[in-house]
Order: sequence, then C-alpha cells, then structure tokens
Amino acid sequence: MTRYAIVADLNRCVGCQTCTSACKHANNTAPGIQWRKVLDFETGAFPTVNRAFVPVGCMHCDEPSCRDVCPTTATRKRDDGIVTIDYDLCIGCAYCAVACPYQARSRVDLPASAYGGKAMRHEALREDPARLGVAQKCTLCVDLIDAGRARGLVPGVDAAATPACVSSCIAGALTMGDLDDPESNVSQLLRSKRHFRMHEELGNGPNIHYLYDGEIGDVAPPEAVPYVAEPVGLASVSPRLQTKWDWRAAANFVFGGTGTGLMAMTALAALTGPASWAAVPLALIFVMAGLICIWFEIGRPWRFLNVYLNPFTSWMTREAMAALPFFGFGALAWLLGSPVLLALSGLSGLAFLYCQARILRAAKGIPAWRHPAVVPLIVTTGLTEGAGALAVVMAATGTEARAVALALTALVGLRAWAWTRYRGGLQREGAPTGAFAAFARIKAGFSAAPQALVAAAALAAALVPAAQPVLLVMAGLGALLTGWEVKHVLITRAAFDQGYALNRMPARGAGKSSPGIKPGWFRA
Amino acid sequence: MKPPNGKSTTSVSSYCYQCVAGPDLMKVDVMDGVPVQIRPNDSAAAVHPAHGKVCVKAFGLIQKTNNPNRIQTPMIRSNPKKGRGEDPQFRPASWDEALELICGKLNESRAKGLMDESGFPRVAASFGGGGTSTVYMGTFPAFLKAWGPIDMSFGSGQGVKCYHSEHLYGEFWHRAFTVSPDTPRVEMIISFGANVEASGGVCGVRRHADARDRGVKRVQVEPHLSVTGACSAEWVPIRPKTDPAFMFAMLHVLLREVPRERLDIPFLKARSSAPYLVAPNGFYLRDPESEKPLIWDLTTAAAVPYDTEGADPALEGEFTVTGLEVGADDDRWRHEGAACKPAFAHLVAHVAPYSPEWAAEICDVPAATMRTTALDYLHHAHVGATTVVDGREMPFRPVAISLGKTVSNGWGGYECAWARTLMAVLIGGLEVPGGTLGTTVRLNRPADNRWSSVVPGTDGFMNYPMNPTKRDAFHDTSPSRHAHQTLIPLAANSPWSQALGPTHLAWMAQQKGFEHLPKPTQPDVWFVYRTNPVISFWDTGAVADVIAHFPFTVCFAYTHDETNHMADVLLPECTDLEGLQLIRIGGSKYVEQFWEHQGFALREPAAAPMGEARDFTWISTQLAKGTGLLAEYNTAINKGAAGLRFFGEGYDFSLDPDAEHSVEAIWDAACRAASAELTEGAEDQGLDYFREHGFRTIPFPKARWYLYPAMVEKGLRFELPYQERLLRIGQELGARLHEMGITWWDRQLREYEAMPHYQDLPQLWEDALEKQYGVEIGDYPFWLLTARSMQYSWGGNAGIQMIHEVAANVAGHGGVVMNPEAAARLGLREGERVEVYSPTGTTNGAVILRHGIRPDTLLMIGQFDHWKTPFAKDLKTPSMNSLTPMSLDLTDATGSSADLVRVAIRKTGGRA
Repeated sequence: MTRYAIVADLNRCVGCQTCTSACKHANNTAPGIQWRKVLDFETGAFPTVNRAFVPVGCMHCDEPSCRDVCPTTATRKRDDGIVTIDYDLCIGCAYCAVACPYQARSRVDLPASAYGGKAMRHEALREDPARLGVAQKCTLCVDLIDAGRARGLVPGVDAAATPACVSSCIAGALTMGDLDDPESNVSQLLRSKRHFRMHEELGNGPNIHYLYDGEIGDVAPPEAVPYVAEPVGLASVSPRLQTKWDWRAAANFVFGGTGTGLMAMTALAALTGPASWAAVPLALIFVMAGLICIWFEIGRPWRFLNVYLNPFTSWMTREAMAALPFFGFGALAWLLGSPVLLALSGLSGLAFLYCQARILRAAKGIPAWRHPAVVPLIVTTGLTEGAGALAVVMAATGTEARAVALALTALVGLRAWAWTRYRGGLQREGAPTGAFAAFARIKAGFSAAPQALVAAAALAAALVPAAQPVLLVMAGLGALLTGWEVKHVLITRAAFDQGYALNRMPARGAGKSSPGIKPGWFRA
Repeated sequence: MKPPNGKSTTSVSSYCYQCVAGPDLMKVDVMDGVPVQIRPNDSAAAVHPAHGKVCVKAFGLIQKTNNPNRIQTPMIRSNPKKGRGEDPQFRPASWDEALELICGKLNESRAKGLMDESGFPRVAASFGGGGTSTVYMGTFPAFLKAWGPIDMSFGSGQGVKCYHSEHLYGEFWHRAFTVSPDTPRVEMIISFGANVEASGGVCGVRRHADARDRGVKRVQVEPHLSVTGACSAEWVPIRPKTDPAFMFAMLHVLLREVPRERLDIPFLKARSSAPYLVAPNGFYLRDPESEKPLIWDLTTAAAVPYDTEGADPALEGEFTVTGLEVGADDDRWRHEGAACKPAFAHLVAHVAPYSPEWAAEICDVPAATMRTTALDYLHHAHVGATTVVDGREMPFRPVAISLGKTVSNGWGGYECAWARTLMAVLIGGLEVPGGTLGTTVRLNRPADNRWSSVVPGTDGFMNYPMNPTKRDAFHDTSPSRHAHQTLIPLAANSPWSQALGPTHLAWMAQQKGFEHLPKPTQPDVWFVYRTNPVISFWDTGAVADVIAHFPFTVCFAYTHDETNHMADVLLPECTDLEGLQLIRIGGSKYVEQFWEHQGFALREPAAAPMGEARDFTWISTQLAKGTGLLAEYNTAINKGAAGLRFFGEGYDFSLDPDAEHSVEAIWDAACRAASAELTEGAEDQGLDYFREHGFRTIPFPKARWYLYPAMVEKGLRFELPYQERLLRIGQELGARLHEMGITWWDRQLREYEAMPHYQDLPQLWEDALEKQYGVEIGDYPFWLLTARSMQYSWGGNAGIQMIHEVAANVAGHGGVVMNPEAAARLGLREGERVEVYSPTGTTNGAVILRHGIRPDTLLMIGQFDHWKTPFAKDLKTPSMNSLTPMSLDLTDATGSSADLVRVAIRKTGGRA
C-alpha cells in the first residue's frame, strides 16, 4: 500500500510563504484562498519569547472527518491516502469545511480577480467553473502525482511528481513521501527525529508531521499543550468564528428543531387526548422553512438531491432521509386525520431532530458543536420548543393542555439540565475562549432565572386552569424564543473553529525546544 | 499544473534577480502565450546552492506581468506643474514621439557640454534594487557608457537602507563589499540585527537551514524578534543602536579575560597589523631606510621591518626603539630611543574600559550574556584547527559575526564593522573556512574576481583605491552632486562609488546647498528605473519636492507611482518575464551567493510584451541612435558593458560598431561570447543553446571563497586592528576641507580613529533631533525601527496583490508592531488605528501586538506609504520613511546614516 504524507521540519521553516505562493500558482486559487500557508506563532513574554513558522493545509487525514460528514460522497480518500473532492458531486453545503479541524477547506462562489474587475489574462485562461460553489482544498497536487507515477516517477523524490509546495520550499523544510515504505524519505525522518501532529487528540490521524527537535531520544516527550485563553498578537492562529454556516444554517436548526419537536409532541399529546391537528401543518411549515433556508445557503442548490448519496456515514444525508417520512406521514396524517400516521411522522421528526444533533456532533472543526453533550442539548431544545409551540397552538385553539403544560415544565427543566451539562463539559474539556464569551452573552433568556420563570409559567398553566391559556402562551413563547436564541448563538456566535496549536516550539539549531501553545482556548 | 482542455503549455528558462541576494534560476510556464506559473528550475539543482529554487518574490511575477495597472504605452506629461497635488495629465504617445522628445533633450544638453557650470554631469540616473537593476536593463549600461559622465548620486535607498559601513570598510579590510559567514561550515554565528532569513535570499535560507540541522548556534542580538531571530538558538533583545558596546565587551573578554594563547597568535603575527610598533604620535614606527613599519623581533630582540624573514614579532610589551614616524601630509618625526608598543598592546589597553559590566547598562543586556557569548565564540573557533579545501590546507574557524543594516549603517557602523572584523582576526577566522567571508567586490578591481583584487599596497597590506587626500591630488570637486570624491576617501571612484557616496547629501544639497561646495545644479535629464525614491528614501516629502523641480525626468515605468508622478516621459519597458538578457551567475557574489559553479543564465521572454512595452535593449539602441552614439554604444557592448566582453583569446563576436543591431542579434553574440569564455574558446553556441538549456556553468573552485590563500601567496596582512592609514587620511581630509573653508564635516572627521572609541549613539540621535527640530526628546519616547521582508525587500512589488496576500501571513506586515505592555500603558489595543509621529512627519497604521519586541521600540516592516501606486495606495499601511530626517548630524564619515528615529504614538480612532 501507499500512504502519502508530508513532513514539515519546524527547525528549517522560515515562514517565507514560498510554498503558499507556489501552491497558489500550481492550483490557480482565487485571491485570498490559500490551500497551503505558513502560520506565524509566538510564545512566552518579553524578554523570553519564541517564534515559529508552521506550514498547514489539508492534512489528508487517515480518518478524515470531512469525508465522513460529506452527504454527497464528493469527498473521498484514495488508496494512496490522498483526500479528494469530486467537484461535480459536491453541493457546496460546507459541512466538510466545518467538520475539518484544520480549517483546510473553503468555498468560492464567484470568479474573482486579484485586482477586481475583469480577470487578468492568466486568470481567465485558467478559470475553472467546476470549482465554483463547491468545497476546495489542497489536492496534494494529485494531478502531478498521478501523471508522475504514470511516467515511473516517485512522488516526493522526483520534482515533477511532487506537490508544488514541497518542490518549491527554499528551506528544504517540506518533505513528501510514502509512509508505508519504511525506507522512504518521510519514514526515515520520522524514525530519526522527534515529531508531533497537530490536534492529534481529535483522532483524525493527520498526515502533516512536524519535526521539532533533534534526534529521537535526545529530549523528553512532549507534555500537554498549554492553553492561552487570551493570546496577544496571535489572532491569525487562534480560533476564529466560522462564517461558512450563517443564519440560514441556524434557521434550519431553529425551525427544524421546533417543527420536528412540535410534530413529536403533537403525536405524544394525541395519546392523552384529541390531537391538535392545527399543529401538524405548522410543524411541516417550520421544518420546510428551515430546509428552504439551508437550500439558499448551499453553493450548488440545484444539485441538492446529491445530499442523499451518503447514508453510510453522513448525518446530513440521514437528516434528509428522515425528512421524507416526516413530510409524507405528516401531510397524510393531516389530510386523513390519522393518529397512526401522526405518530409515524412524530417518530420521523424525532429521527430528524436526532440527526440534527448528530450533524453538529460530527462537525469536528467546531469545538462548541462537536461536544457529545450537544446531542441531548439539541434534542431537548427541539422537544422543548415543540412543546412550547404546541402549548401556544392549544391555547389559541382553546384546547385543554394540562398534560402539555406539565410536559413543557419537565422539558424546560430537562433542557436546562442539558444546557448546564453541555456548558460544564465545555468548561472541563476546553473550548475556544470566544465560544464561552458568546454563551456568556446569553443572559436574557437562557440563564437560570428566566428559565425558571418559563418553567413556573408552564407549571402554573397546569395547576391553574383559569389562567391556562395566558400562562400557556407565556410559557410556550418563552420556551420557543429562548431555545431559538441558544441555537442561533450556538450556530453563528459560538461557532469558533478549532484554530491551530503547536505541541512544541521547535529547537532552532543548537537551541532548545520549548513548550508549545494552544492559543485562544480556555479550560476550567 | 494541468492545463485546461485545448490549452498548450510550454516552459521557458529565466532568472529572478529582484533582490541583491540573487540571481536564482527558475522556469516560467506559459499557456497560450501567457505566463501562468513560476517553478523552480530543477535542472539547476546540481549547480545552484539553493537547489534551483526561487523565493516568494519570484512568484509575484505572474501578476506583475499580467497586471492591468501596467503602463502599456509611452506617455508624455501635459501639465508642466509638478508635485504631489498636481495631476500630471499624461497623454499616450508613440515611441517615435517619446524617443524624439528624450533624444532632443539629450542632444540639447550634450551640445552645452557633458558637465555643467558646477562640474556636475548634466545627465543623472537612479536605479533601484541595490544594483540589481542592471540585470533587467539589457544594454542600457552601454548607452550610459557611450554617453559619458552620468551622475548617479541621487540615491533611492543607498546609504540609508543598505549595509554602508560594511560595504566600505569590508572592501577596505578584506575585499568584502558584502560579508557572510561561511555558512556551509560555520558552527556559531552571532548576528547583530542581520536578518538573513528575510534578506539572504534562497541561498542564505537553504544554507542556514542546513546549518541549523547541523546544530549551528546562532545568537540573534536585535531589539525585536525578527524572522531571523525566530530561527535562532537564542534571542538577545538589545537596546537599539547600542551594538558597539556589546561587541566592545566581547573584545574585552577575548583580550583581557581569557588566556592569550587561546587566540590565534600565529595568525595575528603573520596576517595582521597587530605586531606593528606604534610611534608616539600614533603612526607606525618605520624603518628610516625602507620606511616599512617596524616590528619587535623576539628572536633578535631588535626592531626589524615587518617582512623580515624568520622574525618572531612581539605582540605585547614596550620597547625602546629608534625609527621614523610618518604622519599626515608627509609630516615626519625621527624618534631615537622612543618607548613604543605593538598595535596589539595598544588594542589590549584600548578595550580596558569596555567590560561586559560596563556594557550591560548601555545595552540593557546582562553582562553574563555578553561574556558567555564571547566565550562561546572562542570555544567554537577551534583555534589551531585546519581543514583542506581543494587540496589546500587552511585554518578552520567555524565562527562568524553578522551585521544588520541599521547596525552597519551610520554612526556606530565603523565601530561595529571594526569590532566584528577584528574579532575574526583575533581567532584567525577572517577569510578562512568556517569563518567570516567577503563575498563580492565592488570598489576594487577586478570586480568579478576577489583573488585578483588582492593587489599588494604599502606596509604589507592590500592596496585600496582611496579618493586622494594629499594636497596635490585631492578632488575639491566631484563628478557627482554628493561630493563623494571630496568627502569620502573610502568610497573610491569605481562605477559603484557614486551609489556608495552620501546619497542623501545629493537630495539635501538640492534643498539649500552646502557651503563651499559647487552650486547644487539640477540635472538636465534624469533617468529613473526600478526605483521609487519618493517612497523608499527618507524624509520622503522633501525628496518629492526636489524631484518636482527637476526639469526633465524620464521614468522607465511599470505602473504609475509616486516618483514617476513627477516625470515628463514614461517609457513602458518589458518587465522581468518579457525581456531578453544574459547575465553572469555563480562564482562569488552578493550575500550568500557563493557557488561551486559559475557561468551564465538567460532571461528568455516568457510572453510577448504587453501593449507597447519594449525590450530595454531596443530602447537603449534607439537612444544611442537618436543621440548619434551608436558606434560608441556598440563598442561599449563589445567591451563588456552588457555584462561580458564579446571577444577574448581565440574568439571575437564583436558587433559591427556602425550598425544598428536587433535585440536578438546582440544577445546571440553575448551567448556566443559566454560559451566561448566558459570553454576557453572551444565552443560558441548562441541564443538557441541558452534557450534550450537556460544556463551554462563550469566549476568554481571552493578555495576561491576564501581570500586567505591569496593573502598568503602575496605575503599580505589584513589591516587590523590598528587603522594607521585611516588616521592619516582623516587628518589629511580635515586639512583639505578646512583649506576649502568647510567645517560642517568636522563631526565626521572624528570617525578617523586608529581604534574607535565608544560613543553614546542613542544620545547622539537624541541630541541631533533636539538640535535640528527644537523638540524635547522625552516627547518621543519610542525608538522606531524597520526590518527587511523577504516578500517585499528590493522587489518594488508593493502593488502586487498576491505578495500582499501571502506577506500578511507573516506577523508585523502592514502595521505598527509594539510590545503589549507598552501598548497597555498607552491604552492601545490590537488592531487599533494609531498615528506615529516624529519631528519630521507622521504615518498611520494599525497596532500589531507582539511579545517579541522591546517595550521601548516600535517596528514597521517595509515601506508602504504609497499614495499613487495602484493597489499599494489603498493598503493603509505605515512607513517610517516619512518620519526619518535627512540630517548632517546623523551622517557618519562614510556618508551613511541608520534607519532609526525617535517617535511618539497616539490613537486616531477606528480599527484595522
């Protein structure tokens, strides 16, 4: 077998950006898009300061999270380890981009010229419309590798078959080769020199290996990477707020959660009394509204059906699949007045809601999303919003709703528990400082007092029949609005990416390696 | 690169010489006639020290070539008023019209005589890129040669942005216009602000990376943690402009704290002036007969001439001797039984006050750090070790000291260059394997062979073509507007000398002239190529004002810029990827460009010229024709003005002097001559061969990296530690200037010391600003520095989007770098817009916080105060150039000053 990898020697790298530029040339990337770049890190405080330059890009991971989440199978991993994107399959949903913990992926929707206006001669000549509106990233110059191998050349040894970044590196800091060949250049380097991989704890098995010190055995193994919550001058390497999923994606979580929660709660409520049929079309409309919003966000909306191509690993595909029975059973249930079909739609809604939770959980590039406690949070939030919406519908239709009020009370409590558990988990395990700051700003609705108020209103609605409609509306709206707020914040305000981290600062020549840094991260 | 369907891709050979650390070889991929990609030239991997690679700057050339902002047709100014606020109203013109206008002006000027009433050339020219412009200007040097005297004194950065003292003193002491460690062998480098990872080119970067792999210990002494500091084993954040104190402290340790035998005593005795006896007036004691300096021979216990066979010179002790002392202007003293000590003994006494403890407070560096650095230096010197290079046994001393530009420019440059070179001499590490090397020659001749430039002079030292200071030979006028032959003996008078003169004096003279120097006339015609002094010089507002008053300026223009905004004619020439030229490569050149091969490389056009742009060689030929100088021009080409002689032993590819030759014909002849030169006349392949292969080389002996063999062969000594010659010429220069009535250069005359004393440089700067501008220096609490950027330096590429984009990945670009503690004291936060101001001006930028900078220091990388250059003018980035004064008080004896100024900083509101 073949498993290509890059070894970056941090002792040699000078941060010159020649590889960055060579990559831009070789791949004709748009202005502002850098498949390969070199980061500039600084640690310590004056006068004991270290600085290091770190080449990054697609890590062509052993277990690429981008591949697993891709709903279209556009992202694949070849037998030789190269992670590829089929531009003709990709719908540009950017799920892979938020699932990549190395910030390696981007999407360009419109042709761009370096100086604005009309494309320059070389830009026009090399324009590739297939790359618009879809995910893009480092290909490891796969065309060069394939063409070179076809001519009997060895990638990493023969320049004509070697990625442009590697063959252009003026410091000899980048080496590329086959990890499965024990005698390859990369294997020999990794056998002899101390090295680490970035964010190894995430389990992706990244394939850029960083050499940071002298011979193996010379120095102690690296210790834990120090977190620096508020680093100075390291904005470019610290976690940044992702912008690939904006309010439209948030709307899908808001409306999808509410709609499916509403259907599920309506079905559940139908077990205790007459079904609130008015809630059924509302639930369908909610979910549809969310999906329409997301449709407007994807780069290639007319290929949306490709979303069904990866049920094996993608929770986005599964969400889309769950939507089908949800709408089918829901519409039929409403038309036919069938509680059984309503129950099936509710169950499908629960599946949809669970898929939404798992979509976030699988987005490995966003620490605030990937935490396991996000799953109960999203599920309980959806159900609570559903109960809240149902309470409002029942109040509006004059339906007795004691059971729903009690359920809402319980769900608000459950949601508060999920929220507390989620926040506590993030605190313990660490997350970007910006995520905590974003959550800290949710004071209006999601702190203990207003939630207690919502729960109290719901409970009072159950206990005081005379005031039930008013209290139901108050509690329902409270549950809805606070749930929506938390999801909006989660998707658009707390969604800081992983950022970059260095396990160790490199030794420079006769110097000593020093502790690394995880800038912009906080852990209690 | 995979070409889109239906597109054909070819590849042509070229070179990148955008910075002084080139040339490097590359390939340009061309698709349907359009250059689309730069690649390394893999076929050069075996001969090029950096394996055929080019740096990030080369990758900007695709956008540079295809840039829609290019000037694509000759343009003539319509608005006679010039200035920043004036619209030049350029109108497109034909080449015929533009050339006719220029040649008309030239002919008109020539008719009045080549020199004007002040004795200055009527035609001036300014070129950028530290001399690299010549490898892009085709045969233009031949036109200039054909024309006659040209004034090159209007600098675009020389003397203020270069390594000026290193250039002059380096050439003087060891034919080292540029100095480099023997990086392929060195074990320890102490780098005082030398930013080799940014400015050492691909050869420097590759070699230093290899050195780090070997475990080299580089100590970076610099107020901020530059890219080079980042790549060093240790960073020592020294207070700005106090480097001489650090180096003097190292000298103190080496000379007064370690056993003498740990120094290279044989080297000191045989290859330096250390044993020369110093007479009571400070000049050498000489043999009355031969007038050779005397040494004290320990074997015979007698004073004997320095070159006495078998003598064992004393380095220390005091001896009663008789002899002759020759001072300035041939003053002579006969000494009978005078007490004299060797120069070395004087040196030991000279450094006595400069202990590490003394330097600690000055430099804000612990004494222990300086002491350890000195001892490490000695440890790694391996005094006594030898190695064999090309069959020659030579000393092996793998330690070196590098100097950065602000360290080796301006006041203090002499001290630093002296101390650095002296420390190499003390351990026998000058011009030997592993040690401190000169890599190129510019003032001595021949310029392409350092060994041949080792010509014996007087007193056992190398000759040096000083501008004369004796009464009968002194030049009280110079063929330049900055008086380099009058004021700067060390600047010599080679074709490079004007650029190495005090170039800011040329601008200052235009403002108000200098007393007792000729009236500062304006040039009739000023040519400008690949430079933008309105941005790149100091006090840029003042420079712009001067340029706005020049009567006729011709700019070879790429895009509109701040300097050509004042031009009368713009000529679009083929840029890097469109022009045709053959240049020399390899051997030993600038910076770290010392190769094991030498030869020639072709810059083959990768694309047809955009618009009406024309090859520089064609333009030069037309100018020669239009001024009636075709024969002189062709003759100059034949004699080597285009880079190589067209004839030699057994071959002659000379052009017919009277005919007009096409661009291809000229370079075909050049290629043939190059082939013949490399094969000693055996082969004569022309342009086709170079088009196919890109370059052609033969081996260059590694032994020639080192001057030591030539010194030994000729029995010569390095002129260190004692500067008797400089002491003499300083006194003579003072006398000559005073005879002219010039006293405004007196401060500079004090630099001519036999051994430099420490002077408080920060105080000198502070006093100069207070005196010149009547300010309280306390109101300007920060030192402002700049640093080289590999992405930008020398490239003239601030208008290239891709360069801007990738440079932004390197911290510090585009803003004001400051220490977070200092920022917190002023209530400044990351990204906040600030105004930085000095007594001369203001600049604006965003705060960039980094721990790797002293709290008393600010840093602005690059020079980006553009207001006209497309793209660059919209970057809103700061530049220190408008803050730095042109000041006589801040000009040292070599005519340079340092990129350094005191500033204050305040918020302007807004964020980046």
